[in-house]
Amino acid sequence: MFKIIVFIKQVPDTSSKAGVNPDGTIDRARAKRMLNPFDRYALQKAIEIKRAYGAEVTCVTMGPPPAVEVLVEAFEHGADYGVLLTDKRIAASDTLATAYALHKVIHHLGEFDIILTGLQTTDGDTAQVGPQIAERLNIAQITYCEALSISGKKLSARRVVEGGHQELEVSMPVLITVANSATPLDYKRFADVAAVKEFLRQPQERERRIKTVSLDIIGADGTRTGLVGSPTVVGKTWKLGEIGGSCTLFQGESPEREVEELIGKLRADGKGVEELVNV
Amino acid sequence: MSNPNNVVVVAEQLQGDLQQITQELLGAARGLAEKLNTGVSCFLIGHNIMPLAEKLIHYGADEVIVVDDPQLKEYTTLTYRRAVIAILEHLKTPPPIVLMGATTIGRDLAPRIAAHLEVGLTADCTELDIGDYEHKGKADPSKTGTFNNILYAIRPSFGESLKARILGPWKNPQMATTRIGVMQALPVDTTRKGTVHKVPVTFQTDDFRVTVVKTVRDVSATVNLTGAKVIVSGGFGLGSADGFAVVRDLASVFKDSVVGASRRAVDSGWIPYAHQVGQTGKTVRPDIYIALGISGAIQHRVGMAHSKVIIAANKDADAPIFKFAHYGIVGDLYHIAPLLKKELAKMAREQGIKAGA
Repeated sequence: MFKIIVFIKQVPDTSSKAGVNPDGTIDRARAKRMLNPFDRYALQKAIEIKRAYGAEVTCVTMGPPPAVEVLVEAFEHGADYGVLLTDKRIAASDTLATAYALHKVIHHLGEFDIILTGLQTTDGDTAQVGPQIAERLNIAQITYCEALSISGKKLSARRVVEGGHQELEVSMPVLITVANSATPLDYKRFADVAAVKEFLRQPQERERRIKTVSLDIIGADGTRTGLVGSPTVVGKTWKLGEIGGSCTLFQGESPEREVEELIGKLRADGKGVEELVNV
Repeated sequence: MSNPNNVVVVAEQLQGDLQQITQELLGAARGLAEKLNTGVSCFLIGHNIMPLAEKLIHYGADEVIVVDDPQLKEYTTLTYRRAVIAILEHLKTPPPIVLMGATTIGRDLAPRIAAHLEVGLTADCTELDIGDYEHKGKADPSKTGTFNNILYAIRPSFGESLKARILGPWKNPQMATTRIGVMQALPVDTTRKGTVHKVPVTFQTDDFRVTVVKTVRDVSATVNLTGAKVIVSGGFGLGSADGFAVVRDLASVFKDSVVGASRRAVDSGWIPYAHQVGQTGKTVRPDIYIALGISGAIQHRVGMAHSKVIIAANKDADAPIFKFAHYGIVGDLYHIAPLLKKELAKMAREQGIKAGA
């Protein structure tokens, strides 16, 4: 049976206005929270491997206490165990400091075969943490993985590159970031929400399934996380001006008239549309 | 010998083809180098790639440092990682700035190099600059101070609603990746001169943990969303996969156009993911973006709101897309799209007659 670790993250739901400060920054305490959409692909890949080859799936997340919600969501989709790394000293970690903390969780957990992550998060958008964890663990990685199959301890994978793909082979252990061109999502297929609700009600079972750990528990050095441990800092932010804004709307007449007026207006505004049309 | 203060670009080639991003990076690096009064070095890694070195000089490099080895014929993370580290170790002092592309290769390789060196890396930058910074933070007194002539790595954040300037002045190299299609390449100058030299690499067994069975280049399957001048996109309002016929037909009236799609259209299986525009798809800035049957949810908006001209057709007058499109038509896209095609073609004909006269 394979041991799979999936790194997941709780992110602010940017489709909701809640928690968006006037200056455009996000008040994470007030914002609606959700599982990073990219992580669903990683989670689905883990569950697919579990069902096809047999695996124990542990989801790991780092964040404030409410982040436990994404672990519960992962259980509903078939994950077996969850780990929450929560500690005041990890706040404001950049990617390098985050990767440091997360690789210490792996050391704490012990042996594994495959680490899966989403391609990137919707709040950080860097796609850096996965490869940085792999570097710290000194293991191989396959990023932008679209499809994979397993034979013994060997894993074959298809990786996206600009204008094509690579077919790769690697021996485990390996870290894989899953592209969102991977299998279309239907990860709710295997959900057993009732069973999860049931075990969450039983303190003993809940404790067996969900581990909450601190930097001290995993033996991490607090000076290498958070602001102190981050080699980068955000110097300044600007709100991007309201985009677009004034839409010239054509409506209420016949489509023919509306289209004609639109074209006339485009030409009058000198938008250079003429240059782009086939003669 | 190389100037230790040169700004570094890591070139990207796939099977001997220099990737567009490299020219863009060299353009950006020259701008930074001029402000720092220094030069540009370019790392070129691969096998039988010496002919590319001259091109890199024409694109703006003063010096090309080559690692050429049969083991580097195909890109793999760990062999290319080793090659970059070999050059950096050869340089003795770390360069001030190292730039790479935010591509499937750059985003694979750059974080490993940064983690190995324990330096900062800023992803997906849309602007780069040089400036000063005073760090007042008291969390770590050893970091406090004023830093001159450091890299400003500027990137959108929080779903492109904010722009952030990221700094990492404490340790060189300051690393950044830049988004495809954003940095300005310089005009190719075939009279530019520069130096080329080779650096050897010694691999370790561990570097070959991943093997490439084959690389498939399928140019026809590629959707050049980030490079096209015009994008015509379809959304859930199309109602079915067949609706994309109307989208393709309208796109065909433009010289350099591709078909885009919203996430809901892709998730519905109407069109492959490669066409997806938005937060979990591609970020685009074409000259014209036409949205057919797309409501304009935030996740789509962040991927296309910086297009120069946005034209939307939707039957719902209250659709969010009319809040940020420049031009909108309220109505049935199945009527509007063919009419648009017809009128655009007519306009081009008239224009042609005028130009010919």
